[in-house]
Amino acid sequence: MTLRDSATRIGRAGMVVTWVALAGLAAVYVRALEYTPVEVNQGAAQKIFYVHVPAAWSALLAISITGLLSMLYLWLKDRRIDLAAAASAEVGVAFATVMLTTGPIWGKPIWGTWWTWDARLTSTLFLFLLFVGYLVMRGVLVDPGVRGRLSAVIGIMGLILVPFIHLTVYMFRTLHPAPIVLKPSAPSLPPVMLVTLMSSLGVFTLLYIGFMMQRYALGLLHEAREEELAHAS
Amino acid sequence: MRALVRAAWHIALKDIAIEWRTKTAFASGLVFAVLVLAVLFFSRDPTAVSSQDIAPGALWVTFTFAAMLGLNRAFLLEREMRALDGILLTPVPKAAIFWGKFGANLVFVGTIEAISLPLFVLFYDVPIWIQLGELVLVIAMATIAFVAVGTLLSAMAVRTRYAELMLPLLLLPFLVPPLVGGVQLTARLLEGRPLSDLGGWLRLIGAFDVAFVTLAALLFPVVLDE
Amino acid sequence: MPPSADVVLSAAGIARRFAYRPVLTDVALTLRRGEVLLLVGPNGAGKTTLLRVLSGLLHPSAGHVNRPGAIGMVAHEAMLYPALTARENLRFFARLHGVDGRARVDELLEQVGLASRADDRVGTFSRGMLQRVAIARALLHEPALLLFDEPLSGLDATASRTLVELLQTFRERGTAMIIVSHEMERLGRVATHMARLAAGRLGPVESLAGRNAAAVFADLMRGDL
Repeated sequence: MTLRDSATRIGRAGMVVTWVALAGLAAVYVRALEYTPVEVNQGAAQKIFYVHVPAAWSALLAISITGLLSMLYLWLKDRRIDLAAAASAEVGVAFATVMLTTGPIWGKPIWGTWWTWDARLTSTLFLFLLFVGYLVMRGVLVDPGVRGRLSAVIGIMGLILVPFIHLTVYMFRTLHPAPIVLKPSAPSLPPVMLVTLMSSLGVFTLLYIGFMMQRYALGLLHEAREEELAHAS
Repeated sequence: MRALVRAAWHIALKDIAIEWRTKTAFASGLVFAVLVLAVLFFSRDPTAVSSQDIAPGALWVTFTFAAMLGLNRAFLLEREMRALDGILLTPVPKAAIFWGKFGANLVFVGTIEAISLPLFVLFYDVPIWIQLGELVLVIAMATIAFVAVGTLLSAMAVRTRYAELMLPLLLLPFLVPPLVGGVQLTARLLEGRPLSDLGGWLRLIGAFDVAFVTLAALLFPVVLDE
Repeated sequence: MPPSADVVLSAAGIARRFAYRPVLTDVALTLRRGEVLLLVGPNGAGKTTLLRVLSGLLHPSAGHVNRPGAIGMVAHEAMLYPALTARENLRFFARLHGVDGRARVDELLEQVGLASRADDRVGTFSRGMLQRVAIARALLHEPALLLFDEPLSGLDATASRTLVELLQTFRERGTAMIIVSHEMERLGRVATHMARLAAGRLGPVESLAGRNAAAVFADLMRGDL
């Protein structure tokens, strides 16, 4: 199958997934705003939590997949794997942006300042900047072979960096609410809020998949066009 | 294995010999370190912030920024007359090039740190003698971390047209764990806390060293590949 | 059929792309001891790329290169450290080749006529002198094949003459060579074969035995029609 054919099929499928996910997102918003109780300490602002946390999750998922695909690329050397890794990185940057903007919006009414140098926001900021650097570097490299190899190196290093950044977070004194969900013991959210959160997580994962497929399809199209231009001259 | 060590040794010696003869990167790195130390000292309100409070941060910012200045030098010198191609035409394994460059970079950065440290004590009036040995250990561990990653990334950056921009851009996120750890450990050591109390941060930097020195050595040949 | 033990290099099906564009397409080549191939062709034809693939510095996108013999390369850049002296440069590369440094380096410096400047920094050298140090570097490990990329470019008449004489000595010793150059008049006597690379494709390899280099060149050009 040619690159263009693959791109069309995957792009169409991705669009379907995205629309389903967006519908799910609307449903989650309704549930979060109307049917989930208001948190007693933080008030209505706390509801950003249902977007902020899943965005962070999707960003992390995206970065991990970029890392794994990078390893696969160095092994199999298939340029489509490189295109997929780059697509995931771009989607990850988008979700990280959502997390980094909802964080301050949530923080301002609670703590009185827009940006708190709290550890979890800061570590996401650094991972965000790393992957922006990854995309900038891809932008200046012309040859797909060099671009793929150097991107794969950053992708793998970035993946291994994630746990270190999170460990640094845990050990640094922080303002961030103590981890409610990902504690070793049972999550301490009341069930009704937990369901909203889990639904949102599911929707955001689906959103990641949809965006990723569409961005990958676009990458395949770019690649096809570059080849056609090169052979024309 | 012995061939790899020998080759790395010769490459490191060559780098050090060249830097010794020209001294440009070293001089710039040193001047920069002194400037940063001084500027950070003066860019605070002395009635509100004691020099001891900002000392650990100032020290580590100085070290990392001076290191970044020096790291690009390692591969720029290979590009002047494409000497790196000359090395690649010999039977020397690519990993030896990494270890040689890593070693030379450690000497380079280490020397700048060794000269900056007394100036640091002078400017910031810190009780460094309390636990000098432990402090040197912490500095060594964190330096290994950012020099390992920096060596790999400078080899990459030099392949783009924007090496001076790409290196800091890509390197800074990797500096967070050793930098934060370094600052925390330095602050505690200067307060007089024993090293045994600080196992958590030490283990973090130690694990980072093992993980990233290994990863950098493994991935380096990929960066040199054409 | 000459014995295959004589083969110093063989390549088949070599292709190489850069930024999506084909730079080399289906290049095949075999070289034996004592053969000197003069490679001509227009700028941008891919000659430098071909040399880099043959030397091993570049991986081909397709095809395979067999290197039964050791290879030395003299490229457009000298592949030296300007801050080090000629002697220091050569000793460094000798160590990397696992060659016993001192005697061999002195001998090579003598051979290329730079013994008097051995302890001067290479950054102060003229282009002709740089070329000679580069040749010494390429010879350190006694290669069976030498690759030259435009060796005479940037040299004045005297330096050119010196270099061509050096190449003659190599030929007489039986070292195989591939020389990329426009300078047919000067190098026509050194070469045993000629071939033309154009738009990434290698034309037929013509023997120069008993023929005039200019005539062979004209033949190769005509093949383009």
